[in-house]
Amino acid sequence: MLDKIKKDFNTMTWVLIPVAIAINVVMGEIVVQLKLPVYLDSIGTVLVGALCGPWAGALTGTLSNIIWGLAIDPNAFPWWPVAFFIGYMSGRMANWGFFKSWWKVVVTGFVVALTAAIVSTPISVYLYGGITASGSSFITAYLLQTGQGILSAVLSTGFLVEPVDKITTSMLAFAIVQGLSTRFLARFPRPENVSTEKGGKTELFIAVAVVVVLVLFAAFMLRNILGG
Amino acid sequence: MAIVTLQNVTYKYPLTEAPVLQNVNLQVNEGEFVAVIGPNGAGKSTLCYTLAGFVPHFFKGELTGIVEVAGVETHQSSLNEWVLNVGLAFQNPFNQISGAKYTVFEEIAFGLENIGVPRGEMKPRVEKALALTGISDLADRSPYSLSGGQQQRVALTSILVMEPKVLVLDEPTSQMDPIGTREVFGVIRTMAERGMTVVLAEHKVEWIAAFADRVVALKDGQVLLDGKPGEVLTSPLLEEAGFGISRYTSTARKAKEMGLWKKDQLPVTLEEAVEGFRS
Amino acid sequence: MHERLSFYVHRDSPLHRLNPLTKLTMVFAFILLSFGSPWYWTPHILIVLVILPLSFIGRVQREYLLTAARLIFPAAGFLFLMQSLFQPIGQTVWFRWWVLEVTHEAVAFAFVNAARIIVMVSSFTLLLLTTHPSELMSDLTRRGLPSQFAYVIISTLQIIPQMQAKAQTIIAAQRSRGLDTQSSFVKRVGALVPLVGPLVFGSLVEVEERAIAIEARGFTSSHAKTSLREIPDSRFDQILRGALIVSVLLAFVSRLWLS
Repeated sequence: MLDKIKKDFNTMTWVLIPVAIAINVVMGEIVVQLKLPVYLDSIGTVLVGALCGPWAGALTGTLSNIIWGLAIDPNAFPWWPVAFFIGYMSGRMANWGFFKSWWKVVVTGFVVALTAAIVSTPISVYLYGGITASGSSFITAYLLQTGQGILSAVLSTGFLVEPVDKITTSMLAFAIVQGLSTRFLARFPRPENVSTEKGGKTELFIAVAVVVVLVLFAAFMLRNILGG
Repeated sequence: MAIVTLQNVTYKYPLTEAPVLQNVNLQVNEGEFVAVIGPNGAGKSTLCYTLAGFVPHFFKGELTGIVEVAGVETHQSSLNEWVLNVGLAFQNPFNQISGAKYTVFEEIAFGLENIGVPRGEMKPRVEKALALTGISDLADRSPYSLSGGQQQRVALTSILVMEPKVLVLDEPTSQMDPIGTREVFGVIRTMAERGMTVVLAEHKVEWIAAFADRVVALKDGQVLLDGKPGEVLTSPLLEEAGFGISRYTSTARKAKEMGLWKKDQLPVTLEEAVEGFRS
Repeated sequence: MHERLSFYVHRDSPLHRLNPLTKLTMVFAFILLSFGSPWYWTPHILIVLVILPLSFIGRVQREYLLTAARLIFPAAGFLFLMQSLFQPIGQTVWFRWWVLEVTHEAVAFAFVNAARIIVMVSSFTLLLLTTHPSELMSDLTRRGLPSQFAYVIISTLQIIPQMQAKAQTIIAAQRSRGLDTQSSFVKRVGALVPLVGPLVFGSLVEVEERAIAIEARGFTSSHAKTSLREIPDSRFDQILRGALIVSVLLAFVSRLWLS
């Protein structure tokens, strides 16, 4: 176990993590400034997960969340386990070979999203009674009004909101990896995780199409919910 | 006595075909100040990384031949032991700031903390090193608030303080003005006189001529010339091979063709040129 | 936005002089007490009778109250509103409006939750205002925290403001070329691309050389590390830490006892 954790960490990992956290924080802030309907505050976390492994990803996520909580939004604090698992899961998926082509990265994003939704549910329910300080709580509130149980209302909200964000995040992290030289990537603990398989343009289009469909689906559901 | 020995050293970076170093043979004696010159892509930086142990330990790839420093062969050692003997400072000063410290004083002490130097010993060593490179007045500043030239001095000091047997420097004065460069070359010279062995990759040939004991010219990963600065830096081979050479040398060479330069030896520095034209 | 990461205020106060681990223990004790104590008013009492006076003892009341006004209270207030309005619990309805029901129970729940958030962030803020990050990290490293963690934390705190400054420069440049946050969705997404490129790749490329630089200075050395800073740990510190741990234990035990 300890050896497995240690494998994630070489000097490149230790130097990458601060940069990755800064990418998380700064991207998250820019997205808020540009008023985009996603968070994109875990690109760095997913990047570390993919290049270095699950434990390095988990550490990056956790520290990012703590710093975000201290410096930007105190309400982010209690959610560090979610950030932990986003990093862990993206690393796990990359170890399993799901960070090598566009469609696999979409799968990774989806799995990470489900993980985030599942991990955040107990925090939301037990700490906040389902209603948090996030905008998506309006959806939860609505679902509760329609008579759904608290667990299912929170979980459905998570399933609705997370995939778009986490798939976009994973794809951006993958795009960054594509832009880095193999020689540079080779210094990290797990370069084999990101050795790209041939797939090319069509796959990218399919991946983008999947995201667009998901966005439309989420928008449609939201309209139904808020309009109904 | 040779403290650095390279025997038939050939090296390829991972995922590449062409070797960056080819059959390099080099011996450096204890306390010697050797300058390495060469055009871009000649393998100067790779040679520095090899001496400092980063080739092959950090960069991986394929290293054949023998690299021996202070009696230890590189394949028989690990990077964290190797760096105790060989110190490395390189060109870009910004990236050499550790980021883990808030003041220059702490930044210089970073290496000493890592290798477990006791606190009582640490402070005087840092103070001495700061005084040596002339940055005592920067001790309380943030390393990020400094100019490029000041940061280069910090990078050099951070390595000097660790007192390695061999000091490897890859263009450590690239962001300094002539006054700064002269001072830093003076510091390096002093270190060599105190017994530290210095290998310096540099293209400021006039300074090399004034300060170094020996010059090695690299071309396409091979040693082209190896000898006294006065001989190597004025060799006609250099200009043909595309090296940057001193303007005094090229002027004097023209003058010699026209019969205006009487001496056999061509000059590298301004002083030598002035003296030569006077006689 | 940029100055927020340098919390530390260099002053001399009893709080500044406490050992960093004592202050860290205090932070976690306050958080655990506010969540674990069986008594409803614990977090509120902590804020008024402990955290606020501590900010005066630490001579950082001005900085603390500013942060509280700018960051902590707005966040807690928002959470309070959301939960009061949307929390579907409780029977005692205070008033109804549209589909919303505001109940006594929901407001009570929201009030204690908001207080917990305030305790959590305030105690961390006090720690950071009165403790230099290097001191905290040296002390924890001395007590066995791997030195790489210290490196990551301090390096992160220094890199974020640098990168924020870079991002703001790029955004300003794009504004001057006609981007504004009111423009269409597609335009705003398009604005992201030229931002991410230089920002992300620029900072990633530095990683390799920085790794070489710290490796050259013994970062992975197998020697036991030493520290330039000497951090005092008095008898008083040790007693205080003990007392804090005991109080947390008491709170949890009494909670179990009562349930």
